[in-house]
Amino acid sequence: MTSIRILGALLVWALAAPAQVDKTTLLGSQQDDDSWLMYGRNYSAWRYSDLDEIDTGNVHRLVPSWIFQSDVSGKFQTTPLVRDGVMYVTGPSNHAWALDLKTGRELWHYSEPVPDDWTGCCGKPNRGFAMLGDRLFKVNAQATLVALDASTGDVIWEVEAADYRKGYSNTVAPLIVKGMVVIGIAGAEFGTRDFIDAYDAETGERVWRFWTVPGPGEPGNETWGGDSWKRGGASTWITGSYDPELDLIYWGTGNPGPDLDGAPRPGDNLYSDCMVALDAETGELKWHFQFTPHDVHDWDSVADPVLVDIEVEGRSRRALVQANRNGHFYALDRATGEFLLARAYTQVDWTDGIDPKGRPIPIPGHDPTDEGTLTCPGMGGGHNWHATSYSPQTGLYYFNSGDGCQIYHKSTQEFVEGEFYLGSAMENVTGAPREGSILAVEPSSGRTRWRFPLVSPPSSGLLSTGGGLVFAGSREGYFFALDASEGKALWRLRLGGPVQAPAITYRFDGRQFVATAAGTSLFVFALPTE
Amino acid sequence: MRIWGGLLLTLAATLYAQTADRSPYHDSPKDIDVGRASFRLRCSACHGIRAEGGRGPALNRGEFNAGDTDMDIYRVIDQGVPGTEMPAFGGRNTEDNMWRIVSYLRTFEPSGAETVGGDATNGEEVFWNAGGCGACHRVGRKGGNFGPPLGRIGRSRSVAHLRESILEPNQDLPPGYYLVEVVTAEGVTIRGIGLGYDDFSAQLRDSAGRLHSYFRDDVESIKREFSSLMPGNYSETLSETQQRDLIAYMQSLRGEDTNP
Repeated sequence: MTSIRILGALLVWALAAPAQVDKTTLLGSQQDDDSWLMYGRNYSAWRYSDLDEIDTGNVHRLVPSWIFQSDVSGKFQTTPLVRDGVMYVTGPSNHAWALDLKTGRELWHYSEPVPDDWTGCCGKPNRGFAMLGDRLFKVNAQATLVALDASTGDVIWEVEAADYRKGYSNTVAPLIVKGMVVIGIAGAEFGTRDFIDAYDAETGERVWRFWTVPGPGEPGNETWGGDSWKRGGASTWITGSYDPELDLIYWGTGNPGPDLDGAPRPGDNLYSDCMVALDAETGELKWHFQFTPHDVHDWDSVADPVLVDIEVEGRSRRALVQANRNGHFYALDRATGEFLLARAYTQVDWTDGIDPKGRPIPIPGHDPTDEGTLTCPGMGGGHNWHATSYSPQTGLYYFNSGDGCQIYHKSTQEFVEGEFYLGSAMENVTGAPREGSILAVEPSSGRTRWRFPLVSPPSSGLLSTGGGLVFAGSREGYFFALDASEGKALWRLRLGGPVQAPAITYRFDGRQFVATAAGTSLFVFALPTE
Repeated sequence: MRIWGGLLLTLAATLYAQTADRSPYHDSPKDIDVGRASFRLRCSACHGIRAEGGRGPALNRGEFNAGDTDMDIYRVIDQGVPGTEMPAFGGRNTEDNMWRIVSYLRTFEPSGAETVGGDATNGEEVFWNAGGCGACHRVGRKGGNFGPPLGRIGRSRSVAHLRESILEPNQDLPPGYYLVEVVTAEGVTIRGIGLGYDDFSAQLRDSAGRLHSYFRDDVESIKREFSSLMPGNYSETLSETQQRDLIAYMQSLRGEDTNP
């Protein structure tokens, strides 16, 4: 009798125990239909789920299951994590919640004040948690990394990655690799020198740092005139991906500083606007590829590095693909960094194409001036930072694009620590507002299979599913589903606030759910029960 | 130690903000350059890339609507101007940087406001009669609702922008005043001011004030045009004197007695 009681108690304890996520769980995240365990769903950043209960034939019946209102100002950009009946959600301004997956009721709420003297460049959004063991990891706006107890939301440790008073800030969802919490940083708009860090998940101690702007004596420092490397920027504000076989971490880097004024920083400005491949153990640079050398249009290259095996010129390649903000789709060999192909996917007028080594062939006259220079694409791209998706079911790579041109103005200014160091101003073209689109592209050729037009530049990331669907949202507040093969809209619902977050999907109690945030609320959808 | 230092600095900055009549950066070319860059980044969309004015008033005249001391300008940047499109930038800028912007704006020598030389009283007559502006625009409680209300327009627009808006109304449409044209499934064309326009639907108000809403799926076509429904021929139908008088009248509309 006693042993039965003990067994019963243990069973109850097991059901209530916080989720345990280990390295093996993370490596198998793509097969775990009941969970969403990392920013890009799997280490290849596919944002694809095999779940197919909701499909092209029944998605029009989708209805809300529950709604969570954050009661916090600022809009969600988060990718929620799901594990064992709980959804873990980060919000703007250092807020986060654990929600009951059955009802959406709050289980705990974490918050930490943003310092009064924090400025940051672009609001205080946050893009999500990472998870390992029974811990959650998130960055805070003031450039710290915090570990929380997944069961209570209590802080286990918090470390400062950089001094926010110098202009550093943080928004990125961390990536767990081999017991380490890997994060990027933001701050290029303030003339910071940026990096990618790895921290011990157990202790919070920093294991390695890769400076995205090399210092004196390091390869690449010669691509910065004078001491401009000190203010070189190259932020790392979107989560990278990881190839366990090659043991390489891939991470995109942002613009050099100041963004539109190239005069103070002669040279190619490595490793700004690059894809870098780092040894996961040491953070050592294995290869890099620079999309836009000496960028003067703020064309960050931070978008998801999507890992997919493709055939190029009859040869199978382990590739990394990215829709870059400069208007081109790229495929690289992810083992070596070799350039495989590039193709423009939106209106591009600043280059005559990409040479065989992957370097753009610039058309003179497109550098920003004090008077202003019209160039396409506009400052936000092209494809900016929003989450992309690859579906092995269709073999297509999905991303959104801002389409159109802008007038780039250059300003000159001296550097003042902690203040904007941009040298820029943007103007829209009268009567020609920028619009947008969602694209499906063949990764092996860069050819566009279909394009779904948007009336304004896109705001949300994408999700593809085994039900043959692509889920997306719009700046005007619609959440909608497209046919993944043809791009036809099959379902929509206006959620009342801009959709800036990508959707996720998971199975719970035997049913498939789709979740997305819009404005200050989070919505969960499912097919109606009979 | 750091806490006390921070408190003292904050106290000093607050006291300075409360008492200063001159920016601490008025004689620092480096900081003025930073202020210029910040102005171009934050302010130029409305006030023009050279502070020449546009949707917002010209700020290169050496005089300012909200007062002429450095503190007056700082306060406007920090807190915005209620009742206008000028937002508060205090939460998005450091105090130092707002002072730098003030110092940049102070580099413009007082050159006198751009004057149009017209007669506002005559301009009011043009507004309600020869120009027919009141059919679509409201001043106070009088006038139409099809176009933007103009009871405070003199507080927020430069003379150049007022002239452009009258003679070339397509150059800079106010937010929310684009044109939407719907062709229904029955072939009926409906045009009006767009109240909403997205990937799946559009909402509009026609010239009779009727509200319409359509899903794209249900109609033949929906399109948006960034063109004004204002007459585009005022350069021909109004004399130059009438144009000047009309601008002078619009400059005089500052909201004190004209808005409900």
